[in-house]
Amino acid sequence: MQTLISGYRTTLSNILSNKQTFLLSVATITIAISILGLFLLLFFNLNGLLSSWNREEQVIVYLDDDISSSQKENLEDIFSNNQQVESTIEVSRETAWAEFQSNVSDNLKPLLSLEFNPLPASYKIRFRSSDNRLSHIREFSKILETQQGVESIEYGEEWISRFEKFMVFSKIFLFAIGGLLSLGLILIISNTIRLSIYSRQDEIELMLLIGATPRFVKIPFLLEGMIQGLAGSVLALFIIGGVHYYLKSKFQSSIDAMGMDFQFIAEPFLFGLIGLSVLVGFMASYISTFQFLYLLNKK
Amino acid sequence: MIQVFNVVKMYDGSNPVLDNISLEISKGEFVFLTGPSGAGKTTILKILFGWESFETGQVLVQGINVGKLTHRNVYTLRRSMGFVFQDYKLLPNKTVFENVSFAQEVIGHDQKKIRFKTWEALKNVGLTPKKDAYPAYLSGGEQQRIAIARAMVNSPAIILADEPTGNLDPDIAIEILKLFEELNQKGSTIIFATHSQEIMKAGNHRVINLNRGKVVSS
Ligand SMILES: Nc1ncnc2c1ncn2[C@@H]1O[C@H](COP(=O)(O)OP(=O)(O)OP(=O)(O)O)[C@@H](O)[C@H]1O
Ligand SMILES: [Mg+2]
Repeated sequence: MQTLISGYRTTLSNILSNKQTFLLSVATITIAISILGLFLLLFFNLNGLLSSWNREEQVIVYLDDDISSSQKENLEDIFSNNQQVESTIEVSRETAWAEFQSNVSDNLKPLLSLEFNPLPASYKIRFRSSDNRLSHIREFSKILETQQGVESIEYGEEWISRFEKFMVFSKIFLFAIGGLLSLGLILIISNTIRLSIYSRQDEIELMLLIGATPRFVKIPFLLEGMIQGLAGSVLALFIIGGVHYYLKSKFQSSIDAMGMDFQFIAEPFLFGLIGLSVLVGFMASYISTFQFLYLLNKK
Repeated sequence: MIQVFNVVKMYDGSNPVLDNISLEISKGEFVFLTGPSGAGKTTILKILFGWESFETGQVLVQGINVGKLTHRNVYTLRRSMGFVFQDYKLLPNKTVFENVSFAQEVIGHDQKKIRFKTWEALKNVGLTPKKDAYPAYLSGGEQQRIAIARAMVNSPAIILADEPTGNLDPDIAIEILKLFEELNQKGSTIIFATHSQEIMKAGNHRVINLNRGKVVSS
Protein backbone atom coordinates (compact mmCIF):
# COMPACT_ATOMS: atom_id res chain seq x y z
CA MET A 1 0.00 0.00 0.00
CA GLN A 2 2.81 2.35 0.97
CA THR A 3 4.37 1.43 -2.37
CA LEU A 4 1.22 2.42 -4.20
CA ILE A 5 0.88 5.72 -2.40
CA SER A 6 4.43 6.83 -2.98
CA GLY A 7 4.22 5.38 -6.50
CA TYR A 8 1.21 7.56 -7.12
CA ARG A 9 3.10 10.64 -6.01
CA THR A 10 6.00 9.82 -8.29
CA THR A 11 3.53 9.31 -11.13
CA LEU A 12 2.04 12.75 -10.57
CA SER A 13 5.41 14.42 -10.57
CA ASN A 14 6.41 12.44 -13.69
CA ILE A 15 3.32 13.69 -15.44
CA LEU A 16 3.84 17.26 -14.32
CA SER A 17 7.45 17.31 -15.41
CA ASN A 18 6.60 15.84 -18.83
CA LYS A 19 3.28 17.57 -19.32
CA GLN A 20 3.62 17.98 -23.04
CA THR A 21 4.38 14.38 -23.92
CA PHE A 22 1.70 13.26 -21.50
CA LEU A 23 -0.94 15.43 -23.15
CA LEU A 24 0.16 14.39 -26.61
CA SER A 25 -0.13 10.77 -25.64
CA VAL A 26 -3.57 11.29 -24.08
CA ALA A 27 -4.72 13.12 -27.22
CA THR A 28 -3.56 10.23 -29.39
CA ILE A 29 -5.45 7.78 -27.23
CA THR A 30 -8.53 9.98 -27.34
CA ILE A 31 -8.47 10.05 -31.12
CA ALA A 32 -7.93 6.32 -31.49
CA ILE A 33 -10.60 5.36 -28.96
CA SER A 34 -13.01 7.86 -30.53
CA ILE A 35 -12.55 6.22 -33.90
CA LEU A 36 -13.18 2.82 -32.42
CA GLY A 37 -16.15 4.15 -30.45
CA LEU A 38 -17.74 5.78 -33.49
CA PHE A 39 -17.50 2.51 -35.38
CA LEU A 40 -19.10 0.80 -32.40
CA LEU A 41 -21.88 3.38 -32.44
CA LEU A 42 -22.44 2.74 -36.13
CA PHE A 43 -22.41 -1.01 -35.57
CA PHE A 44 -24.93 -0.79 -32.76
CA ASN A 45 -27.35 1.27 -34.75
CA LEU A 46 -27.08 -0.77 -37.93
CA ASN A 47 -27.64 -3.83 -35.83
CA GLY A 48 -30.68 -2.23 -34.23
CA LEU A 49 -31.99 -1.04 -37.58
CA LEU A 50 -31.57 -4.37 -39.30
CA SER A 51 -33.09 -6.32 -36.43
CA SER A 52 -36.08 -4.04 -36.41
CA TRP A 53 -36.66 -4.67 -40.10
CA ASN A 54 -36.22 -8.27 -39.36
CA ARG A 55 -38.83 -8.16 -36.61
CA GLU A 56 -41.55 -8.70 -39.18
CA GLU A 57 -39.94 -11.88 -40.26
CA GLN A 58 -42.17 -14.93 -39.98
CA VAL A 59 -42.28 -18.47 -41.16
CA ILE A 60 -45.06 -19.52 -43.49
CA VAL A 61 -45.78 -23.25 -43.58
CA TYR A 62 -47.69 -24.20 -46.71
CA LEU A 63 -49.77 -27.33 -46.37
CA ASP A 64 -50.56 -30.11 -48.80
CA ASP A 65 -54.12 -29.82 -50.07
CA ASP A 66 -54.86 -33.33 -48.89
CA ILE A 67 -53.39 -32.98 -45.40
CA SER A 68 -55.11 -35.22 -42.86
CA SER A 69 -56.40 -33.89 -39.56
CA SER A 70 -53.97 -36.03 -37.54
CA GLN A 71 -51.09 -34.57 -39.55
CA LYS A 72 -52.46 -31.13 -38.77
CA GLU A 73 -52.66 -31.96 -35.09
CA ASN A 74 -49.10 -33.15 -35.17
CA LEU A 75 -48.00 -29.84 -36.67
CA GLU A 76 -49.94 -27.84 -34.11
CA ASP A 77 -48.30 -29.87 -31.36
CA ILE A 78 -44.90 -28.99 -32.72
CA PHE A 79 -45.83 -25.30 -32.74
CA SER A 80 -47.18 -25.26 -29.24
CA ASN A 81 -44.24 -27.22 -27.84
CA ASN A 82 -41.73 -24.77 -29.17
CA GLN A 83 -40.88 -22.12 -26.58
CA GLN A 84 -39.80 -19.64 -29.22
CA VAL A 85 -43.08 -19.54 -31.06
CA GLU A 86 -45.07 -16.48 -30.17
CA SER A 87 -48.21 -16.97 -32.19
CA THR A 88 -49.62 -19.08 -34.98
CA ILE A 89 -52.35 -18.08 -37.37
CA GLU A 90 -54.05 -20.64 -39.51
CA VAL A 91 -54.95 -19.43 -42.98
CA SER A 92 -57.38 -21.66 -44.82
CA ARG A 93 -57.36 -21.97 -48.61
CA GLU A 94 -60.54 -19.89 -48.80
CA THR A 95 -59.20 -17.07 -46.69
CA ALA A 96 -55.99 -17.05 -48.68
CA TRP A 97 -57.95 -16.82 -51.90
CA ALA A 98 -60.15 -14.05 -50.58
CA GLU A 99 -57.12 -12.09 -49.38
CA PHE A 100 -55.48 -12.57 -52.74
CA GLN A 101 -58.52 -11.38 -54.58
CA SER A 102 -58.74 -8.22 -52.56
CA ASN A 103 -55.06 -7.43 -52.86
CA VAL A 104 -54.41 -8.28 -56.45
CA SER A 105 -53.39 -5.54 -58.81
CA ASP A 106 -55.11 -4.64 -62.02
CA ASN A 107 -52.79 -6.33 -64.46
CA LEU A 108 -53.18 -9.60 -62.63
CA LYS A 109 -56.97 -9.39 -62.70
CA PRO A 110 -57.28 -12.15 -65.37
CA LEU A 111 -56.16 -14.60 -62.70
CA LEU A 112 -59.34 -13.93 -60.85
CA SER A 113 -61.32 -15.65 -63.52
CA LEU A 114 -59.75 -18.96 -62.56
CA GLU A 115 -62.31 -21.53 -61.79
CA PHE A 116 -60.47 -23.15 -58.98
CA ASN A 117 -58.55 -21.90 -55.96
CA PRO A 118 -54.81 -22.39 -56.61
CA LEU A 119 -53.64 -21.31 -53.17
CA PRO A 120 -52.65 -23.72 -50.41
CA ALA A 121 -53.69 -23.45 -46.80
CA SER A 122 -50.92 -22.26 -44.47
CA TYR A 123 -49.79 -21.41 -40.96
CA LYS A 124 -48.17 -18.08 -40.30
CA ILE A 125 -45.82 -18.37 -37.37
CA ARG A 126 -44.28 -15.51 -35.43
CA PHE A 127 -41.34 -15.93 -33.14
CA ARG A 128 -40.49 -14.26 -29.93
CA SER A 129 -37.71 -11.74 -30.36
CA SER A 130 -34.44 -12.95 -28.95
CA ASP A 131 -30.82 -12.72 -29.90
CA ASN A 132 -30.81 -16.12 -31.53
CA ARG A 133 -34.13 -15.77 -33.26
CA LEU A 134 -32.57 -16.27 -36.66
CA SER A 135 -31.01 -19.57 -35.78
CA HIS A 136 -34.21 -20.69 -34.04
CA ILE A 137 -36.16 -20.00 -37.18
CA ARG A 138 -33.68 -21.93 -39.25
CA GLU A 139 -33.70 -24.93 -36.91
CA PHE A 140 -37.46 -24.90 -36.67
CA SER A 141 -37.84 -24.88 -40.43
CA LYS A 142 -35.56 -27.89 -40.74
CA ILE A 143 -37.82 -29.86 -38.41
CA LEU A 144 -41.01 -28.82 -40.21
CA GLU A 145 -39.69 -29.68 -43.63
CA THR A 146 -39.59 -33.35 -42.73
CA GLN A 147 -43.16 -33.46 -41.43
CA GLN A 148 -46.00 -35.18 -43.30
CA GLY A 149 -48.51 -32.85 -44.89
CA VAL A 150 -46.12 -29.93 -45.28
CA GLU A 151 -45.77 -28.80 -48.85
CA SER A 152 -43.12 -26.16 -48.41
CA ILE A 153 -41.76 -23.61 -46.00
CA GLU A 154 -41.02 -20.03 -46.70
CA TYR A 155 -38.99 -17.60 -44.70
CA GLY A 156 -36.58 -14.86 -45.58
CA GLU A 157 -33.64 -17.19 -45.71
CA GLU A 158 -31.62 -15.13 -48.07
CA TRP A 159 -32.28 -11.99 -46.15
CA ILE A 160 -31.45 -13.67 -42.87
CA SER A 161 -28.20 -15.11 -44.06
CA ARG A 162 -27.19 -11.80 -45.59
CA PHE A 163 -27.95 -10.13 -42.32
CA GLU A 164 -25.93 -12.69 -40.42
CA LYS A 165 -23.03 -12.35 -42.81
CA PHE A 166 -23.13 -8.64 -42.37
CA MET A 167 -23.00 -9.00 -38.60
CA VAL A 168 -20.04 -11.39 -38.83
CA PHE A 169 -18.31 -9.03 -41.19
CA SER A 170 -18.90 -6.06 -38.89
CA LYS A 171 -17.59 -7.96 -35.90
CA ILE A 172 -14.41 -8.94 -37.73
CA PHE A 173 -14.08 -5.39 -38.96
CA LEU A 174 -14.46 -3.99 -35.43
CA PHE A 175 -11.96 -6.46 -34.04
CA ALA A 176 -9.48 -5.64 -36.78
CA ILE A 177 -9.85 -1.90 -36.26
CA GLY A 178 -9.68 -2.35 -32.49
CA GLY A 179 -6.62 -4.56 -32.75
CA LEU A 180 -4.76 -2.25 -35.10
CA LEU A 181 -5.57 0.86 -33.10
CA SER A 182 -4.52 -0.87 -29.87
CA LEU A 183 -1.25 -1.92 -31.43
CA GLY A 184 -0.59 1.61 -32.64
CA LEU A 185 -1.46 2.99 -29.22
CA ILE A 186 0.87 0.55 -27.49
CA LEU A 187 3.72 1.72 -29.70
CA ILE A 188 2.97 5.37 -29.06
CA ILE A 189 2.35 5.13 -25.32
CA SER A 190 5.37 2.93 -24.74
CA ASN A 191 7.42 5.62 -26.38
CA THR A 192 6.01 8.31 -24.10
CA ILE A 193 6.67 6.15 -21.08
CA ARG A 194 10.17 5.48 -22.32
CA LEU A 195 10.81 9.23 -22.39
CA SER A 196 9.44 9.49 -18.90
CA ILE A 197 11.74 6.69 -17.74
CA TYR A 198 14.83 8.14 -19.36
CA SER A 199 14.18 11.52 -17.82
CA ARG A 200 14.50 9.72 -14.48
CA GLN A 201 17.22 7.29 -15.40
CA ASP A 202 19.72 8.40 -12.74
CA GLU A 203 17.07 8.33 -10.09
CA ILE A 204 15.95 4.83 -11.04
CA GLU A 205 19.51 3.52 -11.06
CA LEU A 206 20.05 5.03 -7.64
CA MET A 207 16.77 3.63 -6.32
CA LEU A 208 17.80 0.14 -7.33
CA LEU A 209 21.22 0.67 -5.76
CA ILE A 210 19.81 1.69 -2.42
CA GLY A 211 17.47 -1.25 -2.13
CA ALA A 212 14.28 -0.54 -4.07
CA THR A 213 12.55 -3.58 -5.52
CA PRO A 214 12.12 -3.64 -9.30
CA ARG A 215 8.39 -3.57 -8.66
CA PHE A 216 8.67 -0.35 -6.68
CA VAL A 217 10.53 1.20 -9.59
CA LYS A 218 8.00 -0.02 -12.15
CA ILE A 219 4.77 0.93 -10.40
CA PRO A 220 4.83 4.70 -11.04
CA PHE A 221 5.34 4.13 -14.76
CA LEU A 222 2.67 1.46 -14.96
CA LEU A 223 0.32 3.87 -13.22
CA GLU A 224 1.32 6.60 -15.65
CA GLY A 225 0.45 4.40 -18.63
CA MET A 226 -2.86 3.39 -17.11
CA ILE A 227 -3.75 6.99 -16.27
CA GLN A 228 -3.04 7.97 -19.87
CA GLY A 229 -5.34 5.18 -21.03
CA LEU A 230 -8.05 6.17 -18.59
CA ALA A 231 -7.88 9.89 -19.39
CA GLY A 232 -7.78 9.26 -23.14
CA SER A 233 -10.76 6.91 -23.13
CA VAL A 234 -12.90 9.07 -20.88
CA LEU A 235 -12.28 12.06 -23.17
CA ALA A 236 -13.10 9.84 -26.14
CA LEU A 237 -16.42 8.86 -24.57
CA PHE A 238 -17.30 12.53 -24.25
CA ILE A 239 -16.51 13.01 -27.92
CA ILE A 240 -18.56 10.00 -28.96
CA GLY A 241 -21.37 11.16 -26.68
CA GLY A 242 -21.21 14.58 -28.28
CA VAL A 243 -21.37 13.16 -31.80
CA HIS A 244 -24.29 10.97 -30.78
CA TYR A 245 -26.13 13.90 -29.24
CA TYR A 246 -25.53 16.06 -32.31
CA LEU A 247 -26.69 13.42 -34.78
CA LYS A 248 -29.68 12.57 -32.68
CA SER A 249 -30.91 16.14 -32.36
CA LYS A 250 -30.17 16.88 -35.99
CA PHE A 251 -31.92 13.85 -37.45
CA GLN A 252 -34.48 13.24 -34.73
CA SER A 253 -37.51 13.62 -36.99
CA SER A 254 -36.37 11.26 -39.71
CA ILE A 255 -35.31 8.72 -37.13
CA ASP A 256 -38.70 8.91 -35.50
CA ALA A 257 -40.34 8.53 -38.86
CA MET A 258 -38.54 5.23 -39.33
CA GLY A 259 -40.01 4.14 -36.04
CA MET A 260 -36.70 3.50 -34.41
CA ASP A 261 -34.36 4.84 -31.81
CA PHE A 262 -30.85 6.19 -32.33
CA GLN A 263 -29.09 4.20 -29.64
CA PHE A 264 -25.91 4.98 -27.76
CA ILE A 265 -23.24 2.32 -27.26
CA ALA A 266 -24.43 -0.22 -24.69
CA GLU A 267 -22.98 0.18 -21.22
CA PRO A 268 -20.86 -2.97 -21.12
CA PHE A 269 -19.17 -1.82 -24.30
CA LEU A 270 -18.51 1.63 -22.85
CA PHE A 271 -16.76 0.03 -19.92
CA GLY A 272 -15.10 -2.27 -22.42
CA LEU A 273 -13.65 0.71 -24.27
CA ILE A 274 -12.30 2.21 -21.05
CA GLY A 275 -10.96 -1.16 -19.97
CA LEU A 276 -9.28 -1.72 -23.31
CA SER A 277 -7.65 1.69 -23.17
CA VAL A 278 -6.38 1.20 -19.62
CA LEU A 279 -5.10 -2.25 -20.54
CA VAL A 280 -3.33 -0.83 -23.57
CA GLY A 281 -1.72 1.82 -21.33
CA PHE A 282 -0.64 -0.83 -18.89
CA MET A 283 0.86 -3.08 -21.55
CA ALA A 284 2.69 -0.20 -23.18
CA SER A 285 4.29 0.93 -19.94
CA TYR A 286 5.00 -2.64 -18.95
CA ILE A 287 6.93 -3.12 -22.17
CA SER A 288 8.95 0.07 -21.63
CA THR A 289 9.83 -0.61 -18.01
CA PHE A 290 10.66 -4.21 -18.77
CA GLN A 291 12.91 -3.16 -21.61
CA PHE A 292 14.61 -0.49 -19.54
CA LEU A 293 15.32 -2.79 -16.60
CA TYR A 294 16.49 -5.49 -18.97
CA LEU A 295 19.02 -3.20 -20.62
CA LEU A 296 20.09 -1.83 -17.26
CA ASN A 297 20.85 -5.29 -15.94
CA LYS A 298 22.62 -6.40 -19.07
CA LYS A 299 25.00 -3.49 -18.75
CA MET B 1 29.96 -11.76 8.24
CA ILE B 2 31.81 -10.99 5.00
CA GLN B 3 33.80 -13.70 3.26
CA VAL B 4 35.53 -13.41 -0.09
CA PHE B 5 37.16 -16.53 -1.55
CA ASN B 6 39.47 -16.50 -4.57
CA VAL B 7 37.57 -13.83 -6.46
CA VAL B 8 38.77 -12.91 -9.94
CA LYS B 9 37.26 -9.89 -11.65
CA MET B 10 38.02 -8.77 -15.20
CA TYR B 11 36.28 -5.83 -16.85
CA ASP B 12 37.72 -6.52 -20.28
CA GLY B 13 37.98 -10.31 -20.22
CA SER B 14 41.75 -10.54 -20.01
CA ASN B 15 43.37 -8.28 -17.39
CA PRO B 16 42.22 -9.14 -13.88
CA VAL B 17 41.33 -6.08 -11.79
CA LEU B 18 40.91 -8.36 -8.80
CA ASP B 19 43.37 -11.21 -8.97
CA ASN B 20 42.31 -14.17 -6.87
CA ILE B 21 41.40 -12.12 -3.82
CA SER B 22 40.35 -13.65 -0.50
CA LEU B 23 39.47 -11.81 2.69
CA GLU B 24 37.33 -12.15 5.74
CA ILE B 25 35.73 -9.44 7.87
CA SER B 26 33.86 -10.32 11.02
CA LYS B 27 30.69 -8.84 12.45
CA GLY B 28 31.22 -5.51 14.15
CA GLU B 29 34.67 -4.97 12.66
CA PHE B 30 36.00 -1.67 11.35
CA VAL B 31 38.51 -2.05 8.53
CA PHE B 32 40.33 0.37 6.29
CA LEU B 33 40.68 -0.60 2.65
CA THR B 34 43.60 1.15 1.05
CA GLY B 35 45.94 1.01 -1.91
CA PRO B 36 46.97 3.14 -4.86
CA SER B 37 44.51 4.47 -7.37
CA GLY B 38 43.31 1.67 -9.63
CA ALA B 39 44.13 -1.02 -7.09
CA GLY B 40 40.55 -2.28 -7.13
CA LYS B 41 39.08 -0.78 -3.93
CA THR B 42 35.89 0.46 -5.52
CA THR B 43 35.58 -2.75 -7.50
CA ILE B 44 35.64 -4.95 -4.43
CA LEU B 45 33.11 -2.76 -2.61
CA LYS B 46 30.82 -2.96 -5.64
CA ILE B 47 31.13 -6.74 -5.67
CA LEU B 48 30.20 -6.93 -1.99
CA PHE B 49 27.15 -4.79 -2.83
CA GLY B 50 25.97 -7.07 -5.66
CA TRP B 51 26.59 -4.25 -8.10
CA GLU B 52 29.36 -5.80 -10.15
CA SER B 53 29.65 -9.40 -11.28
CA PHE B 54 32.83 -11.47 -11.00
CA GLU B 55 34.36 -14.26 -13.01
CA THR B 56 35.28 -16.87 -10.41
CA GLY B 57 35.23 -17.28 -6.65
CA GLN B 58 32.66 -17.01 -3.89
CA VAL B 59 31.34 -14.02 -1.97
CA LEU B 60 29.24 -14.47 1.15
CA VAL B 61 27.72 -11.47 2.93
CA GLN B 62 25.63 -12.19 6.00
CA GLY B 63 25.12 -15.71 4.72
CA ILE B 64 23.91 -14.50 1.33
CA ASN B 65 25.70 -15.97 -1.67
CA VAL B 66 26.17 -12.73 -3.58
CA GLY B 67 27.14 -14.37 -6.88
CA LYS B 68 23.77 -16.12 -6.99
CA LEU B 69 21.66 -12.97 -6.63
CA THR B 70 19.64 -11.69 -9.57
CA HIS B 71 18.37 -8.18 -10.22
CA ARG B 72 15.04 -9.32 -8.79
CA ASN B 73 16.32 -10.17 -5.31
CA VAL B 74 19.56 -8.21 -4.96
CA TYR B 75 17.59 -5.62 -2.97
CA THR B 76 17.47 -8.02 -0.02
CA LEU B 77 21.27 -7.70 0.22
CA ARG B 78 21.35 -3.96 -0.36
CA ARG B 79 18.77 -3.18 2.31
CA SER B 80 21.18 -4.41 4.96
CA MET B 81 23.98 -2.23 3.59
CA GLY B 82 24.74 1.44 3.24
CA PHE B 83 27.02 2.57 0.44
CA VAL B 84 28.80 5.93 0.39
CA PHE B 85 29.51 6.34 -3.31
CA GLN B 86 32.82 7.78 -4.40
CA ASP B 87 30.91 10.11 -6.75
CA TYR B 88 28.11 10.71 -4.17
CA LYS B 89 25.23 9.98 -6.59
CA LEU B 90 22.99 12.74 -5.24
CA LEU B 91 19.81 13.64 -7.07
CA PRO B 92 20.11 17.23 -8.31
CA ASN B 93 16.37 17.93 -8.28
CA LYS B 94 15.92 16.96 -4.65
CA THR B 95 16.86 18.95 -1.58
CA VAL B 96 19.36 17.72 0.98
CA PHE B 97 16.51 16.52 3.17
CA GLU B 98 14.78 14.78 0.27
CA ASN B 99 17.98 13.11 -0.88
CA VAL B 100 18.34 11.48 2.51
CA SER B 101 14.67 10.63 3.07
CA PHE B 102 14.58 9.11 -0.41
CA ALA B 103 16.69 6.20 0.80
CA GLN B 104 13.93 5.30 3.23
CA GLU B 105 11.04 5.94 0.88
CA VAL B 106 12.32 3.44 -1.65
CA ILE B 107 12.25 0.70 0.94
CA GLY B 108 8.77 1.67 2.05
CA HIS B 109 9.11 3.19 5.52
CA ASP B 110 6.26 5.32 6.80
CA GLN B 111 6.45 9.10 6.60
CA LYS B 112 6.74 9.83 10.32
CA LYS B 113 9.66 7.51 10.79
CA ILE B 114 11.28 8.90 7.65
CA ARG B 115 11.17 12.51 8.91
CA PHE B 116 12.58 11.57 12.27
CA LYS B 117 15.42 9.41 10.97
CA THR B 118 16.34 11.89 8.24
CA TRP B 119 16.54 14.68 10.75
CA GLU B 120 18.74 12.57 13.00
CA ALA B 121 21.10 11.61 10.16
CA LEU B 122 21.44 15.21 9.01
CA LYS B 123 22.22 16.27 12.55
CA ASN B 124 24.96 13.65 12.74
CA VAL B 125 26.73 15.02 9.69
CA GLY B 126 26.06 18.65 10.70
CA LEU B 127 23.87 19.54 7.73
CA THR B 128 20.60 20.55 9.37
CA PRO B 129 21.05 24.24 8.47
CA LYS B 130 21.27 23.28 4.79
CA LYS B 131 18.44 20.79 4.73
CA ASP B 132 16.41 22.69 2.13
CA ALA B 133 19.28 23.48 -0.21
CA TYR B 134 19.87 21.69 -3.50
CA PRO B 135 23.15 19.73 -3.86
CA ALA B 136 24.41 21.92 -6.69
CA TYR B 137 24.61 24.87 -4.28
CA LEU B 138 26.71 23.01 -1.74
CA SER B 139 30.46 22.48 -1.49
CA GLY B 140 32.06 19.13 -2.36
CA GLY B 141 32.50 18.35 1.31
CA GLU B 142 28.88 19.14 2.10
CA GLN B 143 27.72 16.95 -0.77
CA GLN B 144 29.88 14.16 0.54
CA ARG B 145 28.21 14.49 3.93
CA ILE B 146 24.77 14.15 2.34
CA ALA B 147 25.96 10.90 0.80
CA ILE B 148 27.16 9.75 4.22
CA ALA B 149 23.87 10.71 5.88
CA ARG B 150 21.98 8.79 3.23
CA ALA B 151 24.13 5.68 3.69
CA MET B 152 23.63 5.63 7.45
CA VAL B 153 20.00 6.67 7.67
CA ASN B 154 18.63 3.12 7.64
CA SER B 155 21.06 1.98 10.35
CA PRO B 156 22.45 -0.74 8.09
CA ALA B 157 24.34 -3.75 9.41
CA ILE B 158 27.20 -3.03 7.02
CA ILE B 159 28.45 0.29 5.71
CA LEU B 160 30.66 0.38 2.63
CA ALA B 161 32.28 3.81 2.42
CA ASP B 162 34.19 4.57 -0.76
CA GLU B 163 36.58 7.42 0.12
CA PRO B 164 33.99 9.20 2.25
CA THR B 165 36.48 11.83 3.35
CA GLY B 166 38.23 12.33 0.02
CA ASN B 167 36.89 15.84 -0.34
CA LEU B 168 36.97 17.04 3.23
CA ASP B 169 39.32 19.23 5.25
CA PRO B 170 41.46 17.17 7.61
CA ASP B 171 39.51 18.43 10.64
CA ILE B 172 36.15 17.53 9.21
CA ALA B 173 37.58 14.29 7.86
CA ILE B 174 38.53 13.23 11.37
CA GLU B 175 35.06 14.15 12.57
CA ILE B 176 33.49 12.04 9.86
CA LEU B 177 35.80 9.20 10.83
CA LYS B 178 34.51 9.57 14.42
CA LEU B 179 30.98 9.39 13.08
CA PHE B 180 31.73 6.08 11.39
CA GLU B 181 33.36 4.86 14.57
CA GLU B 182 30.21 5.75 16.49
CA LEU B 183 28.12 3.80 13.99
CA ASN B 184 30.59 0.98 14.46
CA GLN B 185 30.06 1.20 18.24
CA LYS B 186 26.34 0.87 17.66
CA GLY B 187 26.97 -2.40 15.85
CA SER B 188 27.52 -1.62 12.15
CA THR B 189 30.35 -3.39 10.38
CA ILE B 190 32.37 -0.82 8.46
CA ILE B 191 34.63 -1.00 5.43
CA PHE B 192 36.23 2.35 4.87
CA ALA B 193 38.18 2.82 1.63
CA THR B 194 40.72 5.62 1.85
CA HIS B 195 44.04 6.89 0.56
CA SER B 196 44.71 9.01 3.58
CA GLN B 197 47.52 7.98 5.93
CA GLU B 198 46.29 10.54 8.45
CA ILE B 199 42.85 9.00 8.63
CA MET B 200 44.32 5.54 9.02
CA LYS B 201 46.57 6.79 11.78
CA ALA B 202 43.72 8.57 13.55
CA GLY B 203 41.64 5.45 13.67
CA ASN B 204 43.37 2.41 15.02
CA HIS B 205 41.79 -0.29 12.88
CA ARG B 206 42.77 -3.22 10.70
CA VAL B 207 44.07 -2.12 7.30
CA ILE B 208 43.60 -4.19 4.16
CA ASN B 209 46.14 -3.07 1.61
CA LEU B 210 45.41 -3.74 -2.05
CA ASN B 211 47.75 -3.41 -4.96
CA ARG B 212 47.00 -4.35 -8.56
CA GLY B 213 44.08 -6.47 -7.48
CA LYS B 214 45.94 -8.44 -4.84
CA VAL B 215 45.86 -8.20 -1.06
CA VAL B 216 49.36 -7.03 -0.11
CA SER B 217 48.83 -6.96 3.63
CA SER B 218 45.94 -7.38 5.96
N1 LIG C 1 33.44 -0.03 -15.35
C1 LIG C 1 34.72 -0.28 -15.64
N2 LIG C 1 35.07 -0.73 -16.84
C2 LIG C 1 36.34 -1.02 -17.16
N3 LIG C 1 37.36 -0.91 -16.30
C3 LIG C 1 37.09 -0.46 -15.06
C4 LIG C 1 35.75 -0.14 -14.67
N4 LIG C 1 35.77 0.26 -13.37
C5 LIG C 1 37.07 0.19 -12.99
N5 LIG C 1 37.85 -0.24 -13.99
C6 LIG C 1 39.29 -0.48 -13.90
O1 LIG C 1 39.51 -1.34 -12.82
C7 LIG C 1 40.66 -0.94 -12.10
C8 LIG C 1 40.31 -0.79 -10.63
O2 LIG C 1 39.38 0.27 -10.51
P1 LIG C 1 38.78 0.70 -9.11
O3 LIG C 1 37.80 1.77 -9.38
O4 LIG C 1 38.33 -0.50 -8.38
O5 LIG C 1 40.06 1.29 -8.40
P2 LIG C 1 40.16 2.08 -7.03
O6 LIG C 1 41.09 1.30 -6.19
O7 LIG C 1 38.82 2.34 -6.49
O8 LIG C 1 40.81 3.43 -7.50
P3 LIG C 1 40.62 4.92 -6.94
O9 LIG C 1 41.43 5.01 -5.70
O10 LIG C 1 41.13 5.80 -8.02
O11 LIG C 1 39.18 5.09 -6.68
C9 LIG C 1 41.16 0.33 -12.74
O12 LIG C 1 42.26 -0.01 -13.56
C10 LIG C 1 40.01 0.81 -13.58
O13 LIG C 1 40.49 1.40 -14.77
MG1 LIG D 1 37.67 3.97 -6.20
